[in-house]
Amino acid sequence: MKGYKKYYGQKLFWYLLTLIFAVILNFVLPRLMPGDPVSAIAARAVGGMTDSTAIQKVINDYVEKFGINKPMYQQFFMWLGNVLKGDFGVSFSQYPRPVSDIINSAVWWTVALQLPAIIVGWLLGNILGAIAAYIRGVFDKAILPFFLFVSNIPAFGMATILLFVFSIKLGIAPASGGYGYDLIPNVSWTFVKSVIGHYQLPFWSIVLITIGGQAIGMRSMSIYELNADYVKYSRFLGIKDSKIVGYVFRNAMLPQITGLALSLGTMIGGALVAEIIFSYPGLGTTLLTAVTGQDYPLLSACTLIITIMVLIANLVVELLYGVIDPRVKANQQD
Amino acid sequence: MKNTIKQVFHSGKFLVGFIIFVLILAICFIYPVFVTYDPLEMIGAGNFYKPGTYVSQEEAALNEGYTLNMDASESRLATALGVEELEKMQEYLIKYAGIAEKDIDVTDTEAIVELWQQNYNPDMKAKGLTSAKRKAYRRLDASIENAMKSSGVIIAEEDAESGELKEAKTIKGTGYVNTKDIVNKRTFILGTDNFGRDVLTELVAATKVSLRIGLIAGLIATAVGLILGLVAGYVGGVVDNIIMFLTNLFTVIPSFIILILISYSVGTNARGVMMVAFIIGLTSWPWTTRSVRSQVISLRNRDHVNLSKLSGHSMFRIIFTDILPYIASYVVMAMILQISSGILSEAQLSMIGLGPATTKVATLGLMMNWAMQYAAHLNGSWWAYFPVVIVIALISFSLNLMNTGLDQVFNPQLRD
Amino acid sequence: MGKVMLEVNHLKTKYVTRFHEDVYAVDDVSLKIEEGKSLGIAGESGCGKSTLALSLIGYYFAPLHYMSGDIIVDGVKISAMKPDEVRKKILGNEVAYIPQAAMNALNPTMKIIRFIEDVMKAHNIKMTKKEVYDMARERFADLGLPEDVLNKHAVELSGGMKQRTVIAISTILSPKVLIADEPSSALDVTSQKMVIRMMRELMEKGYIKSMIFITHELPLLYNVTDDIMVMYAGQIVERGTAKEMVFDPIHPYSKGLMGSIIVPESGVRDHKLTAIPGTPPNLKNPPKGCRFADRCKYATPTCSALAPDMKEFDNGRTYRCLMSVRKIREVYENGGSAEVETEFD
Repeated sequence: MKGYKKYYGQKLFWYLLTLIFAVILNFVLPRLMPGDPVSAIAARAVGGMTDSTAIQKVINDYVEKFGINKPMYQQFFMWLGNVLKGDFGVSFSQYPRPVSDIINSAVWWTVALQLPAIIVGWLLGNILGAIAAYIRGVFDKAILPFFLFVSNIPAFGMATILLFVFSIKLGIAPASGGYGYDLIPNVSWTFVKSVIGHYQLPFWSIVLITIGGQAIGMRSMSIYELNADYVKYSRFLGIKDSKIVGYVFRNAMLPQITGLALSLGTMIGGALVAEIIFSYPGLGTTLLTAVTGQDYPLLSACTLIITIMVLIANLVVELLYGVIDPRVKANQQD
Repeated sequence: MKNTIKQVFHSGKFLVGFIIFVLILAICFIYPVFVTYDPLEMIGAGNFYKPGTYVSQEEAALNEGYTLNMDASESRLATALGVEELEKMQEYLIKYAGIAEKDIDVTDTEAIVELWQQNYNPDMKAKGLTSAKRKAYRRLDASIENAMKSSGVIIAEEDAESGELKEAKTIKGTGYVNTKDIVNKRTFILGTDNFGRDVLTELVAATKVSLRIGLIAGLIATAVGLILGLVAGYVGGVVDNIIMFLTNLFTVIPSFIILILISYSVGTNARGVMMVAFIIGLTSWPWTTRSVRSQVISLRNRDHVNLSKLSGHSMFRIIFTDILPYIASYVVMAMILQISSGILSEAQLSMIGLGPATTKVATLGLMMNWAMQYAAHLNGSWWAYFPVVIVIALISFSLNLMNTGLDQVFNPQLRD
Repeated sequence: MGKVMLEVNHLKTKYVTRFHEDVYAVDDVSLKIEEGKSLGIAGESGCGKSTLALSLIGYYFAPLHYMSGDIIVDGVKISAMKPDEVRKKILGNEVAYIPQAAMNALNPTMKIIRFIEDVMKAHNIKMTKKEVYDMARERFADLGLPEDVLNKHAVELSGGMKQRTVIAISTILSPKVLIADEPSSALDVTSQKMVIRMMRELMEKGYIKSMIFITHELPLLYNVTDDIMVMYAGQIVERGTAKEMVFDPIHPYSKGLMGSIIVPESGVRDHKLTAIPGTPPNLKNPPKGCRFADRCKYATPTCSALAPDMKEFDNGRTYRCLMSVRKIREVYENGGSAEVETEFD
């Protein structure tokens, strides 16, 4: 028990430290560059955009809220205070909507899309990899190169392929958006049906990409485990092969969890870009809007939220791993 | 050394990956020798022209031509009448012309057209036949008429003095031209993109630029990762702790996000191809650092390293002669992966509009970005983005295969 | 005298290498063990002792294949049974096995008690979890293992403890035959002693009825087993009691092997430590004649052409050589020791 406590304590502390660092980075990085937010905002105002009064208002709001004229460290704490209150300022591109409002509506779409997609892809990938390792032979020889290739298609590429086949050619799935363009979000059956319909293509493109990479990793892990001594020993004690296969896959799957934690950031990054292909109303598309609309407040909020999401997901995976794999406990006791 | 290389090329996976990669590379260099057009020349006046050979309309019309006893109406009918149209015709024939369903064969276009011509009455008034529907049927009838016509087209010239139109030539339904007789033509194997540029030529040029970005990013990432990993692993102690803390930090904070933040901050003016490659390289070193460090730690206490230490060799000498040669294979493998992820990073960055801010060169990511901005994926212009996706996948597939092959050669316990 | 626990007649098995070559590592092996007796099998590495251990269990999977011969456990011919029947009725239950690399023999992510439960389930033994636990605790305590081992994962145990746990699990169903393949080789001296003591205890307390102990360390056999068999190139070359085999080896290979070890017993200690020159034959293409002929310093041209059979002489000792016992003894007395070999010491 003591081992677990130490493990969790260390993990929590470390993630807290990482979070602080991430927040600082999010604030400092843009301000270190020549195109810092202040000049970006100024450029917008001088550029004489269509609605100059609106832009002026945003700037005033920003200057006031974030204390642009004050020294850097004061700015940071003002910014931090606002962020903690959930106040990221007002958006340029969608004036006068507050950034927090835009983020709030986008973030749940992304979570609802990526979380299940990555979990399903991970599970299916592991099952397929395990089967490939167990059966080997022709199945393995044919399936493996295929997955090797699939895992190298970028997520957005898979998205365009699915879109082309199922939406453009077969016409059985909607091509873009999170729900029908003629609908207003509500809790009616039509709306839910529309959301589910729009969900399919983005979901499966992330799932397919995830499957490929996971299947390959799981296959080699399983082959390694299948040759382990405990497999032979269990067999000679009369334990059924099906049961032994269970041991093997459990043991092979555990390192896959760590693998997931390490590659989560990359996976989420890829999936965000895949969202763009479908104009899915999540954070990926919001990022694109922020970039094209030169909307600094929105972009900064997006990156912060995504970082926090990845951190939380990583933390959960690592804590889960501590519970599932006794080897972690054993290491802590040394 | 020679033996190792021989062994590497005996690995099937490495060989396949190597061949694919070399082929891509060869195409990048050989293609421009034969096709000397400017890859970014905006040749088409509209968006997304289909793949195919484009021949001068005027030249084709004025060409002497040949008569082929081939009735074009049938194939024109087939293109004019899709499944939907045929179903519409069937519906009309059953509902309003009173023909039994068993007498209609939807698969036989000719027969159904014949039935249609016999039974269609544009002035028909019936229950359920709304005016909108009637109009739709009229349009259908017109398109059938049009397709069936084989009387020919008359080309007229305007008389310069009187302004009268004078018949210059009649083009018959059986008139054909040989594409070889036409001088003004151009083949777009992969069509044109939203700016009217030849996709294939552009793709070759873009692949070259993207490979360069990947290579530079990979070199930078590997150099930074190697130095940090060597220092952390060899020096150990506080230095190791600090470097590992940073490495873990940048593994958990998604590099994609840092990439976005930096790319946005440097601004559009500074964001050229080199800059993007540089930024990608600077954000993707943690992987290399991690693996180099663990390798160095396992080497640090080996006998030959201890012997060098006892002999009083300097740290640099030990690193260069006793450590680097042993981890060289890992570094090469890490670099191969870095190149592949660098190319992918550029593509993803460009897709959210933070790629190289240039119109002078194309990259794979920019091609993707342009195609998406002009909704190529929604209007079915597959040629503008599929080839890009396939090239990205092939490059990363080949590099990964090479990496796996090397891994199997250098880590024999992974061989299965 | 006693009831025969294990009888093996003309067993022949092969294993297939990665390159699809057949290796006949067990070729025409026959042996018999009575209740309460233990048998040691000795030989150089690569002589087929580990393959013999696996072959004796009667349950085959790739790369090991059964070819011919009988295995009879307590009157039941298990070589004629279906694999799944062998698994359910024999493995762990009648014949138990302790592997060479016990360090990794336990699933690292499983609690020891869960594994014992699985062993019970595999043999259709109807017991509640509590009954299994009580039984295991009692057995572990009897064998001197602490109870809390049951609730630990294999990764949490030390090397020696892991090996003893493996032995306890292997014998939990009180098998009739225990086959131990180098159970103590990888351990430090203290742990080795504990393991050996445990093996003896198992016999004394009746948890096992007979035992086959395979090792390359002959002194161990002298102290642990009643009989010793020497194996060379997939065949048994000699069998006798431990004492006979150590003090009076007949077969030239046994003689060489005994000469290459130190037996910690006064009177034996002055034996010179010698090595047998040469390497064992390749079992992919075993030699036609005597398999030891190439390395035997008493070999005649006949030896390379004619394969010797197992011969029996006084009180059941057997050996495999073309020479008669009398001739061998004569040779040993006249010139055997006069031959100078590579000397250690």
